[in-house]
Amino acid sequence: MKRKGLLLCIFIILLIFVTGCWNRRELNDLAIAVGIAIDKSGNQYKVSAQVVEPGEVSGKKGGSVAPVTLYQATGDTILEALRQMTTISPRKIYLAHIRILVLSESLAREGIRDSLDLMSREPETRNDYFIVVAKQATAEDMLKILTNLEKVPSIRLFSTLETSAKQWAPTTTVNLDKLISELVSEGRHPVLTGLNVIGDKKIGESKKNVETVPSPADMQYSGLAVFRKDKLIGWLSDEEGKAYNYIDNNIKSTVGHVNCPDGGKLSLKVIRSNTKVKGSLRDEHPRITIEVQSEANVGEVQCHLDLTKTETIAEVEKLADRKTEEFIEKTIKKVQQEYKIDIFGFGEVIRRSYPKAWKKLKKNWDQTFVNIPVNVKVTHKIPYLGKISNSFLEDMKE
Amino acid sequence: MFKNPSLGNSDSSKEPEQTKVPLTINLQENLQHINNSLGNSSDIVIREIQIGSERQIKAAIIFTDGLADSKSIQNFIMESLMLNIANADPNHLITSQEDIFQVLKDHFLTAGDIKDVTEWGPLLTSLLSGDAILLLEGYSKGFSIGMRGWKDRGVTETTTETVIRGPKEGFTESLRTNTALIRRKIKDPNLWLETKEIGRVTKTDVAIMYIKGIVSDDIVKEVHARLDRINIDGILESGYIEELIHDETYTPFPTIYHTERPDIIAADLLEGKVAILVDGTPMVLVVPIVLISFFQAAEDYYQRADISTLIRILRFISVFISLLGPALYIAITTFHQEMLPTQLLINLAAQREGVPFPAFIEALMMEVSFEILREASLRLPKAIAQSISIVGTLVIGSAAVEAGFISAAMVIVVAITAISSFVLPAYNMAMTIRMLRFLMMGLAASFGLYGIIIGVIAIVLHLCSLRSFGVPYMSPLAPFILEDQKDTLFRMPRWAMFSRPRMISKNNIIREQSTPPEKPQDNTGG
Repeated sequence: MKRKGLLLCIFIILLIFVTGCWNRRELNDLAIAVGIAIDKSGNQYKVSAQVVEPGEVSGKKGGSVAPVTLYQATGDTILEALRQMTTISPRKIYLAHIRILVLSESLAREGIRDSLDLMSREPETRNDYFIVVAKQATAEDMLKILTNLEKVPSIRLFSTLETSAKQWAPTTTVNLDKLISELVSEGRHPVLTGLNVIGDKKIGESKKNVETVPSPADMQYSGLAVFRKDKLIGWLSDEEGKAYNYIDNNIKSTVGHVNCPDGGKLSLKVIRSNTKVKGSLRDEHPRITIEVQSEANVGEVQCHLDLTKTETIAEVEKLADRKTEEFIEKTIKKVQQEYKIDIFGFGEVIRRSYPKAWKKLKKNWDQTFVNIPVNVKVTHKIPYLGKISNSFLEDMKE
Repeated sequence: MFKNPSLGNSDSSKEPEQTKVPLTINLQENLQHINNSLGNSSDIVIREIQIGSERQIKAAIIFTDGLADSKSIQNFIMESLMLNIANADPNHLITSQEDIFQVLKDHFLTAGDIKDVTEWGPLLTSLLSGDAILLLEGYSKGFSIGMRGWKDRGVTETTTETVIRGPKEGFTESLRTNTALIRRKIKDPNLWLETKEIGRVTKTDVAIMYIKGIVSDDIVKEVHARLDRINIDGILESGYIEELIHDETYTPFPTIYHTERPDIIAADLLEGKVAILVDGTPMVLVVPIVLISFFQAAEDYYQRADISTLIRILRFISVFISLLGPALYIAITTFHQEMLPTQLLINLAAQREGVPFPAFIEALMMEVSFEILREASLRLPKAIAQSISIVGTLVIGSAAVEAGFISAAMVIVVAITAISSFVLPAYNMAMTIRMLRFLMMGLAASFGLYGIIIGVIAIVLHLCSLRSFGVPYMSPLAPFILEDQKDTLFRMPRWAMFSRPRMISKNNIIREQSTPPEKPQDNTGG
């Protein structure tokens, strides 16, 4: 008995020295990929991985080498292409820390489902990266531009999208889980934010890009890509994107303006917004009611208004209501007429409220969607005027 | 495995022969016997005198120089016997016919502690303990007079367990001083003190102290039984006793607490524990003990409850860091890189660029060199120790990083781990955590977080299997005792801690019945 215990002890102690098995990887054996771009070249996939040069990114040293590098490979499947990268990269591409996945527009028009399987199957990845579409460009170009403020371009793309979705609204953050759940849903089609390079791409790829003010090339998010199932069929403009986010109850903060009665403009900072989408059924005909309740501050006044009066505020509120209602309705109409697919998830709303009726409706939902009557009701509340009440323009004598 | 039962009895059987031998009536023979027994040791002083009104009785005073207080011997024995008897009241005249011992004891020896000795064993023991021996011609017995007085260190501030608030005195090497220090704190007649002599050669005094009525009798009985089982030539420190009586040898966890603070002992006695004091060391043992006691400092009870609770939580965090810090770092950076935020990962990866060793080897090197430094500075004089630690920090901290052997993050991890391990008030528990840390590092390097979890589960299981003198080591957490939680992870206000630990003091658990302090009635009317 005692001898057995002793042997066991020796085995356990020996175990300590057999480190280095299984999937242990030292940090300096990893090529940390932060961005992946997928393009189609012929029948094959062209995969580009933006890999961090850690020494350049952190610490005081560095400067001579670019903070990231791009490995590219072509293969019949994405995984093959990724593995083929080892022929040019000294380390294995480590996918856990992807911040952004860029799909090219041409790939998106052909369908994105095949590209997504790897990303959702690979156990190594975290699902917290954003997926975007390169608008009228190849995806690889998006990972080639060097950026300022944030040395790693992919991390910058991630935080830019996050900030703009929070502060400006026309863009929307979509991660893998959300995209897949929208793809499999019967009552909703997905959208993805578009990404574009502005300025001189050639300079953007060199270190010069971060040496001049302003950077000759930069990346900018614009528009939302509309998908029918997994195929891209068109784009929404920024304003339409904002409407989409209003309907999706996705507005955290945004800015909009109203035209004053006397000409001139007044901008409003939305600080809180809540949207309720309700479905109702009348004689088996579904209808949708969208109620937006928004709280906004006066942000900027460029016209003559006496803001100290409650009537004026009420008037401004009404103007804002009408304006928001208008562009939401316009967007819905455009999607209904042009794209003829339900990207707003009205089908989901009906499914939840009328599961029985939905069974009949779901077959032809997209046709039904085209003609569905939508009632938009927006109510603004303006509780604060900012640091001053009336603009000093009022006191200025001309 | 290592026991050799045949050794014990044969050796000790010789000695009782001598101890039982009675004294003879011949003084010279007795003195000769003493000289022979002690090999004419030069520190034995034999002073032959003649006493009685007519100086017709031959006597001898024997004492050990250095152990007995020679001034007291002169004042209270020699002076009494040689001068006072001669000038004494005629009623007390000493004649050879009377029971001279009784007369001396009753009238002349102005000492507190006088015992009769008739056999050689006790005589030599008390002589070598510092008592003075008085022998008379014609009597086969003598006196052992308590004249102990030797140079000792005196009560000084504790060096190993310092506090900001609380008593500063610490135990000394002398047993009597130590018992006095405890008695000064607890003046109850129920504070009982039993003394044993352990060690065939050293004959070390070992005292057991407890408060009758609070302590569980079973525990006292068990302590006696275990102490009686000891058969060893010498006890030089309480560590000898600890290793001979603890419940489990094959465990990294100490199941006996030791301290050099009288206030801790007093508090433990009041909780129904038993203190074991050993002559010759300031370290006093306490049994039974539970794991949680090693994480509690004396100061927890002297500061306000809220401060103590926060500091206690801080201590648990430190233990956690100390045990798992490097292991977690190894596991996360070599197995679970996806758990780190991207920026942090890039940062760590940048630091590891060019480091030639795997994280485990890196951590092991750092930890071992830190332990070497710690051990080195422990053994050195304080002044040198300081310079050693400066060199150590310089070499290990910056030079190794600059040379590219070690990543800077690893230095941070090892440093915070090292500092955390010094937060524990009990040094032996800190050593335990330190040993286990290496085990956890190995597990982390082999199996990642999975290994760490396995290791922690194994440690908890092991802790649950331990007992200290019959008390579950993990109580009051396992078994869970709700009332005792007020002094486990938290320290409730004093008035709320009204009961003693339930598993230790089984029969007398009510400690206090104070009510919470109230605000005074407002008489001023506002």
